[in-house]
Amino acid sequence: MRLVAIFIFLGITMKIIELKHVNKRYDDGFVALKDINLEIESGKFYSLLGPSGSGKSTILRIIAGFTNPTDGKIYFDGKDITNLDPAKRQINTVFQNYALFPHLNVFENVAFGLKIKKVPMDKIKAAVRDALHMVRLDGYANREISELSGGQQQRVAIARAIVNEPKVLLLDESLSALDKRLRKEMQFELRAIQKKLGITFIFVTHDQEEALSMSDEIFVLNDGKIQQNGSPVDIYDEPINDFVARFIGDSNILPGRMIKDYEVEFANKKFQCADAGMRPNEKVEVVLRPEDLDITSPEKGKLVVTAQTQLFLGDHFEIKAIDADENEWLIQSINGCKLNERIGLYFDPEDIHVMRLHESQEDFDARLESYEGDDENE
Amino acid sequence: MRKNSIFARVYLSFILVILYIPIFYLIYFSFSSGKNMNKFGQFTLSHYQDLFQDNRLLAIFLETILLALLSSLIATIVGTFGALAITMVKKKAQKNTLLALNNVLMVSPDVIIGASFLIFFTALGFGLNFGSVLLSHIAFSIPIVVLMVLPRLNEMDFSLIDAARDLGASGYQVFSNVMIPTMLPGIAAGMFMALTYSLDDFAVTFFVTGNGFSTLSVEIYSRARQGIDLEINALSTVMFLFVLVLVIIYYFLTKRRVKKGKRMIGGLIK
Repeated sequence: MRLVAIFIFLGITMKIIELKHVNKRYDDGFVALKDINLEIESGKFYSLLGPSGSGKSTILRIIAGFTNPTDGKIYFDGKDITNLDPAKRQINTVFQNYALFPHLNVFENVAFGLKIKKVPMDKIKAAVRDALHMVRLDGYANREISELSGGQQQRVAIARAIVNEPKVLLLDESLSALDKRLRKEMQFELRAIQKKLGITFIFVTHDQEEALSMSDEIFVLNDGKIQQNGSPVDIYDEPINDFVARFIGDSNILPGRMIKDYEVEFANKKFQCADAGMRPNEKVEVVLRPEDLDITSPEKGKLVVTAQTQLFLGDHFEIKAIDADENEWLIQSINGCKLNERIGLYFDPEDIHVMRLHESQEDFDARLESYEGDDENE
Repeated sequence: MRKNSIFARVYLSFILVILYIPIFYLIYFSFSSGKNMNKFGQFTLSHYQDLFQDNRLLAIFLETILLALLSSLIATIVGTFGALAITMVKKKAQKNTLLALNNVLMVSPDVIIGASFLIFFTALGFGLNFGSVLLSHIAFSIPIVVLMVLPRLNEMDFSLIDAARDLGASGYQVFSNVMIPTMLPGIAAGMFMALTYSLDDFAVTFFVTGNGFSTLSVEIYSRARQGIDLEINALSTVMFLFVLVLVIIYYFLTKRRVKKGKRMIGGLIK
């Protein structure tokens, strides 16, 4: 344990889970996963993010051992656990609907795993007390499950999992049943618990905000494939393709063409950008985040659009506008504008994110790294 | 609204009175001296005295209860596993066929079931005695247990099984610590129903009892045929009270089932 702490302190992390070429086809022929490769390091908070049916929950079930992959291997601490019984894995799960045992009270639910392992009763009592303290449910030991609110049930489910001291905790859409305010609160709390325990959390969610705010690293999934993985900032700022760009946050996506390095054409205009390394005249897609667009006068703007609708959302305006080529633009700005008037849009070269069509993650990473090299040369 | 509820109450009382009058009439005359139910003589407990001195009847009474307990216990075990098996069937058509086969047994007339058992047992050369009655009672009780347990399983959240396995439970531990407590209310209801079915069955039993063995309902029937004796009233009263006690026990069991299931699981894990 101390060794792990030192490693974490030094910034050295250890690979704890590895999926190699994992495929999953269900009996009805549905292909849930297509050649999934991923590495999970110890002590980090991961999110598997994707729409429903993207395969994220299947990955979780395969890691937990409830489902066997059709092909491929799963390694835990370097050992092949592909066919190991879930009961024998040092992994615990917090289920989507919590799956608390309705015939047991809070104490008995949390103690379940330890009782199965035949831990002496006095140790169980101490461990359950600590676990309930960790999730801030001190004094709830004798409550019935049916007496608890959704948020409290959620905490019991977390306590029931962490009391077994797993090396990896899996959370399956665990916050989706909570109301918005409680969900925010639990996001902070989950992150705090993860930091305190120092174990790996793998969190499955379809909520991009949740994934962005909690994770060290995100795997974005769609259609049974990992689309992109990286830190929340990387994924938000440099989406690899239009699916990721659309799924993570709002975005304006336009077809475009690279003229040459650092120059791209879209909306019938040429713009300076921060991307390079593509073929001249290569067809690309360009992403502009709505919050990166500033409203200015038509003369000062890099692009002129006409505002059509405007919503005031408390801390900003959301404006829908249309340009001369009938492309729709979504703009999030702290300043409002007049409707049906021509306005200018201003953005920096770095705000233009150029995506190549069908680029693999390796090529994408290599391309991004080459820019960072450029930065240092300048 | 108010009028409505008065009407409802009157209606309900009327129905209940109609339902219970014959039984109370019978009980009333069990305390009457005299030989028949034409006229109430004097209050007496002599019929009860006769009853408890009638060794044959007492033996039959005890055997009937033994039969009911044994057949309902076995039917509950078989029926519970049957319900589990039906739940596990994945194909919808297969599942529905199994359910239909189960329900056909529920609704088919007792006379036909009894007659078929009689033919079956004689064809096999199986003697008609306690064993034949026990087997047929188990057989007609199984479908009711299946029907009582099945809804519990259908309502069951199957992620509970995953959760238990996730927490280290073996297949047997999942069954004993999660499945059984979840099914327990259904199992208890099924067993109770099987018990009452066995206690009051006449038609099936009538076919498969031999010379050596009889149940209370068959005995009462054969005695009543020889002319009404008020001892039968006394016997019926005792049986009625016995069933009443069962119902009260069942009521308290179902009210406290959560607590009971809990204690049971604690014991099993330790």
